[in-house]
Amino acid sequence: MRLEIGNFYVRDIVLGSDLVYENGTLTINKEEALKFICEDDRITEADIYIAKPGDKIRMCPVKEAIEPRVRPDGRSVFPGYEGELAQAGDGVTYALKNCSVLVVGRHWGGFQDGIIDMSGEGQKYTLFGELNNIVLVADTNEEFEKREQQKKNDALRRAGHRLAEYIAATVKDLQPEDAEVYELEPMIRRTEDVEKLPSVVYVMQPQSQMEEMGYNTLVYGWDMNHMVPTVMHPNEILDGAVISGSFMPVSSKWSTYDYQNCPNIKALYQEHGKTINFLGIVMSNLNVALEQKERAALFVAQLAKTLGADGAVVAEEGYGNPDADFIGCYVALEDAGVKTVGVTNECTGRDGQSQPLVTLDEKCDAIVSCGNVSELIKLPPMDIVLGELEALGRDGLSGGWADDELLGPSVKPDGSIIMENNAMFCGDRVCGWSTKTMKEF
Amino acid sequence: MKKAIIYINQFFGQIGGEEKADHAPEIRAGQVGPATEMAKSLDAEITHTVICGDNFMGSNTEEAIAAILGMLEGKEMDIFLAGPAFQAGRYGVACGTICKAVKEKFNIPVVTSMNIENPGVEMFKKEMYIMQGGNIAARMRKDVKAMMALSNKLLSGEEVGCAEDEGYFARGIRRQVWREDGIPASERMIDMLKKKLNAQPFQTELPIPKLDRVPIAPAIKDLKTARIALVTTGGIVPVENPDRIQSASATRWGRYEVSALERLKTGEYKTIHAGFDPAAADADPNVITPVDALKVLLQEGVYGSLHPYFYSTVGTGTTQAEAQRMANEMVPYLKEDQVDGVIMVST
Amino acid sequence: MVKEIEKAGFPIVQMCNLIPVAKTVGSNRIVPTISIPYPLGDPGTPKEDQWKLRYHRTKVALESLATDIEEQTVFKV
Repeated sequence: MRLEIGNFYVRDIVLGSDLVYENGTLTINKEEALKFICEDDRITEADIYIAKPGDKIRMCPVKEAIEPRVRPDGRSVFPGYEGELAQAGDGVTYALKNCSVLVVGRHWGGFQDGIIDMSGEGQKYTLFGELNNIVLVADTNEEFEKREQQKKNDALRRAGHRLAEYIAATVKDLQPEDAEVYELEPMIRRTEDVEKLPSVVYVMQPQSQMEEMGYNTLVYGWDMNHMVPTVMHPNEILDGAVISGSFMPVSSKWSTYDYQNCPNIKALYQEHGKTINFLGIVMSNLNVALEQKERAALFVAQLAKTLGADGAVVAEEGYGNPDADFIGCYVALEDAGVKTVGVTNECTGRDGQSQPLVTLDEKCDAIVSCGNVSELIKLPPMDIVLGELEALGRDGLSGGWADDELLGPSVKPDGSIIMENNAMFCGDRVCGWSTKTMKEF
Repeated sequence: MKKAIIYINQFFGQIGGEEKADHAPEIRAGQVGPATEMAKSLDAEITHTVICGDNFMGSNTEEAIAAILGMLEGKEMDIFLAGPAFQAGRYGVACGTICKAVKEKFNIPVVTSMNIENPGVEMFKKEMYIMQGGNIAARMRKDVKAMMALSNKLLSGEEVGCAEDEGYFARGIRRQVWREDGIPASERMIDMLKKKLNAQPFQTELPIPKLDRVPIAPAIKDLKTARIALVTTGGIVPVENPDRIQSASATRWGRYEVSALERLKTGEYKTIHAGFDPAAADADPNVITPVDALKVLLQEGVYGSLHPYFYSTVGTGTTQAEAQRMANEMVPYLKEDQVDGVIMVST
Repeated sequence: MVKEIEKAGFPIVQMCNLIPVAKTVGSNRIVPTISIPYPLGDPGTPKEDQWKLRYHRTKVALESLATDIEEQTVFKV
């Protein structure tokens, strides 16, 4: 499979009378875009804003991020989810770079939603503080979950994915400024030179712990709770096969944007043929019962062994009980003779003294640590809030609270906030962007 | 000008060697011994030097602490320093002991220094900054310089960096930091992977800590007469959540009476624990807190009696320290009621 | 919390699904449960089966409190 991503580097986004991309400027006709969004009649109100790095904008509750993409061959950008089922990872796709579509609730948030600041102290806590964002702020008639802490956010997330494809369609017939090419030969048909290199699989553990459908990560539209680990081609991940779920405490979340751009996958591709033989992806998941975790670890180790992997990288989307899946797979791989490196975040508590992962094993001797969900963050008020800041304290966001004896409420009357890193939207960037690490104090 | 007071032993206080280790604590105006070296780089005036024999502190600890705290009372003091103690075990323990007492009484920063082999490190590293010192007195200049560098940061309120950067023993705290080199996780992963695949040394970013154990509590002698209590971290509470227990990072707990109940009823109890599907527990809270089973087992005489309350909080994100505190708040109730054993249900 | 309660002298048994977590944390007496959201009763099974499971494992937990052990023990259900 050969995937070519043609890039258009967005330098500015403005609202105007037409949907047009020219010389780095993306113009969007808001009314038409909203009309398109509201074709899903579950949406009861919607508006679109532009949020650029440096803007005095805070967004809360942020539910999803998607990179605008379009396939010139007409295939759906998200096959099996918002479009017909089709193979992802082959052919040409166009991407609008340096920008994303963000989905923000007009009012209601939950454990899986978060904060983004576009300037000031809070900007560095998310990737999206550095991108040009098309922000959809909307509300829906999904009354059943309005007051629930765990939300499917289905109408809003779908709206975001559709909007991303709708906007990117404007470059369908244009020439990209450059292109990235991703190609791997079939695993057993590689050249002698490549065969000599240590072979590596990238094991992904996206969240899939809700037993009711509608919350979990989807692969080609299929709920990932209902699968055992399998083999996938890295191009599939980069080309829209995986849709982020709505469940994870949000700093641990891998948004759809994270999957589309996964730096860890791109880094492994870079090394392929030079220092490693990148076999491909072992797609696992995260489960809520010990037996399921053990079964997944069993499959992961067996797949790695059967494929002949010398090494593996395991990445976990989550903290808390998913650490058991992470450590479980890591240990199973090591026991199968596969040299493993882990990538994860930690939860050491507000005082920094709690055990970093809920379960540990001496065999897990190589871990890249991307951040601490528990880190307390204080931020001043922001001039503009898209969404509803109160949601942080009121709706059970993972890093916010209604009241606390020592710290008071997360949202102060003047609009300043105190929160845990846990609520920074996709803040820990375990997919590979994180420039944070953990140190002993 | 800020003020500092230092603590040293009989040897560095120029009183004598081992034969003077019983020297009772005294306080002198001005700078004695290492204080003069410290004064060269400390951003504070060292007004007094406390001198105490290592044996005196070791054998009469309470008396020594009381005496020294009394001497410090009423004195202007912005920081308290002790040592450096190098590898001298009694001295290191003495430094840690007095620093802890001064910190607790006067609520000021304290800094000491000793070698990794000094038993004082393990005993006190979590409670104060202990600089990683040399193992012989010839390291005095270097160790003092390192102590003063950290002390000056504490005095000025400048942010103190991580243990590795500042040169103190890690205090059991892990925090996130932004890498100065800005190297993203993907590159660190590749680097670690290549090294591990090629059997080259690498450094993990998450060293696996040593685990601590608690002695096994003796088994109940006669279950048939035993009083049992139920505790949970699954967040089962009455539906109004009267104690406003948080659904993550909890700092509050509650206890709820079950003596008159046969089971927990849906609609009356629910779970507030975030991060898992609450449907099952809301529909039947007994799947987390098995009050129904405990009641039947009680009737059957499997055990003697059930403590009238179940205790509840939420586990996810809750710090170990808060969990410890909450458990310690629950314990007096269990003791008072002469509970013999506890069942804890986690999610 | 388990360790604090045990330090205070109470024999305590932890009923939990993630045995590796309980072991790492240092619980001495451990009884397995079937999952995280519903430790003692799978809503996908008949009420009678849920009850049997809950009754049985709670009983094992009680009995574990009266059982002498030498090291961390996961009691069989």
